[in-house]
Amino acid sequence: MELDKKPSRVKTVASGLIPFVFVVILMAYIFGPGSDLLDLGIPLPEITIEMVDFVGSEVHATVRNTGPVPVEIVMADINDRIQPAAVEPNRFLERYETALVRIPFEWNEAEPYIIGITIEDGTRFEKEVEAAAPRLQLSSELIGFFAIIGTYVGIIPVMIGLMWFPFIKRLSKNKYHFFLALTVGLLLFLGIDSIEEALEVSDESLAGSFNGVLLVATVTILSFLGLYYTGEKLIRRVKDSPYAKPVAIALMISIGIGLHNFGEGLAIGAAVGLGQVALSTFLIVGFALHNTTEGLAIASPMAKGKPQIGKLISMGMIAGTPAIFGAWLGGFMYSPFSAVIFLSIGAGAIFQVILTLVKWIQQENQNRLSSASIVSGIAVGMLVMYLTSIFV
Amino acid sequence: MMIFSLIAVTAISSIFVIFPEVTQAQTEENVFVTHNGKVVKTTGEVIDPLYAEATMEFDPMEYLRDFDYGKTSPLPDGTTLREYTIVAEDDKIMEVSPGVFYNAWTFNGSVPGPTIRATEGDTVKINFINNGSKQHTMHFHGIHPAEMDGVFEVVGGEGGQFTYEFIAGPAGVHPYHCHVMPLEEHIVHGLYGVFIVDPKEGREPADEMVMVLNGLDTDFDTENNFYAANTIPFYYQHHPIQINTNELIRIYVVNMVEFDPINNLHLHGNLYKYYPTGTDLVPSFYTDMITLSQTERGIMEFEYQYPGKYLFHAHKVEFSEKGWVGIFLVSDSEQETLSLTAGDPNEYGT
Repeated sequence: MELDKKPSRVKTVASGLIPFVFVVILMAYIFGPGSDLLDLGIPLPEITIEMVDFVGSEVHATVRNTGPVPVEIVMADINDRIQPAAVEPNRFLERYETALVRIPFEWNEAEPYIIGITIEDGTRFEKEVEAAAPRLQLSSELIGFFAIIGTYVGIIPVMIGLMWFPFIKRLSKNKYHFFLALTVGLLLFLGIDSIEEALEVSDESLAGSFNGVLLVATVTILSFLGLYYTGEKLIRRVKDSPYAKPVAIALMISIGIGLHNFGEGLAIGAAVGLGQVALSTFLIVGFALHNTTEGLAIASPMAKGKPQIGKLISMGMIAGTPAIFGAWLGGFMYSPFSAVIFLSIGAGAIFQVILTLVKWIQQENQNRLSSASIVSGIAVGMLVMYLTSIFV
Repeated sequence: MMIFSLIAVTAISSIFVIFPEVTQAQTEENVFVTHNGKVVKTTGEVIDPLYAEATMEFDPMEYLRDFDYGKTSPLPDGTTLREYTIVAEDDKIMEVSPGVFYNAWTFNGSVPGPTIRATEGDTVKINFINNGSKQHTMHFHGIHPAEMDGVFEVVGGEGGQFTYEFIAGPAGVHPYHCHVMPLEEHIVHGLYGVFIVDPKEGREPADEMVMVLNGLDTDFDTENNFYAANTIPFYYQHHPIQINTNELIRIYVVNMVEFDPINNLHLHGNLYKYYPTGTDLVPSFYTDMITLSQTERGIMEFEYQYPGKYLFHAHKVEFSEKGWVGIFLVSDSEQETLSLTAGDPNEYGT
């Protein structure tokens, strides 16, 4: 038996490797003798101005070569007026390499600017900034400021939402299902919202070569799969105890919402950092209002079990505190790429929670999802979110 | 487990993309001074088209006072024949501003082409050779027979030839340019130049120069990326034109800018007499600001009373901030004769 198995394993490995060998040969041909095939067409150089910072009396542009060929940065301009500048570390950019272009310029706060970069073939690329604002400097005051905003947006509303717990607990079974379904509606809205936000950021600030839509899809699905796997394990482990399952589900919900709130914090921090102060006031008020519904989402599954105040509060913290970290990251080291990643992770987390909840409701409701309370719950959840989102 | 490792890989690799500013240890520091005197230190490179000394093939300083009078010979009727050879090309890649390369189409290898100069009544004979890959012609503004207009007599590329022959006139300053369709493309790529017709009685002696106001659309979006007097942006700013006090300066100005409807020339610390198209010997204006539309041109005459550095530029400031700006460095003519041996007044301190 042992001897029989060995050659077959070698065969397995070999049959797995042979296609790879051909892939290598294919590549070698294209880059070697067959390279003439690649000479068709004209490769167009492309750069992307990923970030613009206003520092002292300089404007800093972070430039990435997002095209298929190496480029050379030869000129910078502001509002289409040529300016002398410094390029660090140097003006030659290989594919995907970045450089910092420092343009000495007495900019005025809150005014819009268009930053242009010209490369050696005379092509000019530009990036518009809606309102110039000094880059936020890391200070204990600002750290505190963002922590307070994060608390206001994340922790407090979620805690307020949790105060519906006694109310939900007193409800009849049908009405309770309505609230569980309401949670599904709320989360569905949040998930779509996160994806929309991620696509918007990638559309505005990421180069085409990052394949923004596919990046969002990939990260969302990976996040969904990762959390689905962990969540199922968690729920399976607590299966025996009827009281523990709602807690596990509530925990999954709070983790999902926490990831989502991280994205919200990121948006608020970035808005403050990019000088869109009026917008961030709206964001803060809107998110705060919006997020009380998230507390409700956590409270609903828990209402089945014994009141566990301590657990409820810690779940509220899990859901709310990431907003603070998000605000820090967004305010002090915003990068469009990280924003897209975090928003997508949040979306994946929320879809995973929705799946868990729906399965649970189905199980509670004799394998049916088409009862009036469930359908109306989801619909009302979406509507409530839409109406509160108008304030954002 | 696969999923976790996938997520871990994604997360770790994203960190590198998120924080691209890899610290590059460099000890050497470059310093440059901005035009308002701010000193900027950098570990990287300086890109400064305003003051950078570029190694251009085309020398605007040489072009400025270079007039091609042609090969002259007397005709039986006592008038003068002037013969010129002009070669068109369209494959030249020129560095037009530090680091910026542009496919210029040229007459005799430069943009603008040579300044063709004749006297009113001379017979001008131009042996035109088209060594380009496309069709080109030479179309002169002025008075000439229809078949010498360079519009319908298209000259094929790869060695096509045509002889333009006409009597120079009227006196003044005129442009010449290629007139093959699509016309805008043939003009903006650089196929133009200046044709000066001197009046028979001549003009008062002066320090004469030619300025073609032009633009460069380096990314072909029908908007100019650069503007200049004589093609190279900022050239006369880092290479001021040296003139003397109390000496008559005469500039033949031709506006060849496309895409933008107007251009203009503003002179600092002085006013000029302006002769539109140069066809009249009496100036029409005494001003420091003249606005010119496409191929509008004229002669400007002035003298500086005080020595020093004087700007001249488009008062459409966008154009001047994209290269159409220069400096006259005026030396005291009396002092200059006294101190010919005592050093050059070359310090203009930019």
